Amino acid sequence: MIAFGTVVSDAEAYRRFAAAGVRLAAEPDSAVHVLSAVGSICRGTNLLLDTVAAAHGDELEALVIVDSRTELTDRDVCAKVRAALSDPAVAVAGAVGARAVRTLAWWGGEVSAAPVVYRYYEHGGGEMEGYGWAPPTVPLGEVDAVDGFLLVLSPWAVRNVRFDETLATGHGFDVDYCLQVREAGRKVVTADLRAIHHRTLELVSDFEAWVEGHIDLAEKWDGRWPGREPEADWKPRARRAEAEREAARTFAYSSANRLDAEVLALEREMAAMTGSPSWRATAPLRWINRMRRRRARA
Amino acid sequence: MIAFGCSITKPDQFRRCAEPGIRRAEEPGSERYVLPSIGSIAESYNATLDRAAERDDLEALVLVHQDAEIVDADLCAKLREALRDPEVGLIGCVGALDVRSIAWWEGSVTLASFINRYEAHGGGDLASFSWSWEEAPPWAQTGEVETLDGFVLAFSPWAVRNIRFDESLSQFHGYDLDYCLQVREAGRKVVTADFRAIHHREIEMLPDPEEWIEAHISVAEKWDGRMPRIGTAPGDWRERALRAEAERDVADALARTKVVELEARARELRRGIAETRESLSWRLSAPVRRLGAAR
Repeated sequence: MIAFGTVVSDAEAYRRFAAAGVRLAAEPDSAVHVLSAVGSICRGTNLLLDTVAAAHGDELEALVIVDSRTELTDRDVCAKVRAALSDPAVAVAGAVGARAVRTLAWWGGEVSAAPVVYRYYEHGGGEMEGYGWAPPTVPLGEVDAVDGFLLVLSPWAVRNVRFDETLATGHGFDVDYCLQVREAGRKVVTADLRAIHHRTLELVSDFEAWVEGHIDLAEKWDGRWPGREPEADWKPRARRAEAEREAARTFAYSSANRLDAEVLALEREMAAMTGSPSWRATAPLRWINRMRRRRARA
Repeated sequence: MIAFGCSITKPDQFRRCAEPGIRRAEEPGSERYVLPSIGSIAESYNATLDRAAERDDLEALVLVHQDAEIVDADLCAKLREALRDPEVGLIGCVGALDVRSIAWWEGSVTLASFINRYEAHGGGDLASFSWSWEEAPPWAQTGEVETLDGFVLAFSPWAVRNIRFDESLSQFHGYDLDYCLQVREAGRKVVTADFRAIHHREIEMLPDPEEWIEAHISVAEKWDGRMPRIGTAPGDWRERALRAEAERDVADALARTKVVELEARARELRRGIAETRESLSWRLSAPVRRLGAAR
């Protein structure tokens, strides 16, 4: 039996997105566990793991943890979950992840992703390729970490590994969980799980907390990070990181200016079109059309 | 005599950008040192400094990048005014305080009297905050700073004869901060003055990040312990590394957010433009627009 679970921090989002997707993907015998958020994301998700572990015995094949804003769009999720977990060494699967993950910013590694969709509601709304801002460069398969917006845990993971509640900010809870799983000798993989992630355009909302979370995770795994040698000399690493930080900031300004210029050109084009005398002269025609459409809808 | 110099790798760009500005600012007796680049910017500028140093009547040397256009016809008068203080070694129109690395723009910028004029997307201007004094923020001011942007630099005769660019650092990046630090270490002042320039360049600020990172490290290593705040930070090396890595990744996330946000805005506009073009009223009014265009 494949169980589904969500720790709900936004009830409306859950009803619109997660619940709808779970209805589509669940099998007749699937259990669905829905809990309200309690404390940090780690604490809430651990409660979900405890609940599932207590409620189900050997019949549990997997737990699919769906974020409130994640909408599964794939009727075959259960079959794909079974395929992903057919290797008994696999403990975690996700739709998006990366290899060569060095920090909490897993997208800085080699990204591996199913074709998930990113739906936003600003600027009139729209959809983008899921991780267009971190394009996939490696195929689906074994990775270092997966994104927590959709997590599939094996029964072993549900019973043996917990999210680290000492990570106070909660940022990196997913990367940390994957590191724990790998430290225990199990595998993390990406699988072809289709979903829509309904979210804002902002990738990081609270920079200060995110930086602290980043440091907490680095501190915790210093010397133990799978695949990374313990640091012998911190000075060159610090010098390089400080330089890369300034380069990243400068690149941020630069990208903003470059894209602003592109948007400005489009705004000029739009203004030239809608500011022309002929466009203004035909305004009554558009008004009549709008009224007609409105009346037809009514 | 106030001399002007430029090191050239792209003659067309020099003719289009730097030369009109020099012509605008120079005086009848001004000397011009327009030389082909001989390697790194430090090597090329040092060659120009050597040439200018031979002139006994030198009042100042102005070095401009080939893509920088001086706007002020009265630049020479402004430089003479600034050089009335004999301690002034170097003058520019963009400068900052509390500078900690070659990314001087991360410091407290006190004057930025320039426009970034780009050609992409139909072209445009990005005016910096003190381009127009009417619109400048309250912190905009001329005066002593810690560093200057090197795209337009005016050297006092003392600087021309005594300080050289460090040819060991980098092909291009950080040469301006390093020169300013040398001037200040020698006890002279680095100042901004009220003149303006147009920087004709693409918007991309870091086309060669790896080279920039190496220059950042070289300058930090050179000046750590010699000049306050340069190359130093709170904490031990481990703490500094972990914090900088976190701040690097958050800056990267910010850049990615910006890309996504602006892409969403661009899509909205493209959608609006397409809907307008497909609308009946746009198609009906096409003859009027054609007539207007023909006129």
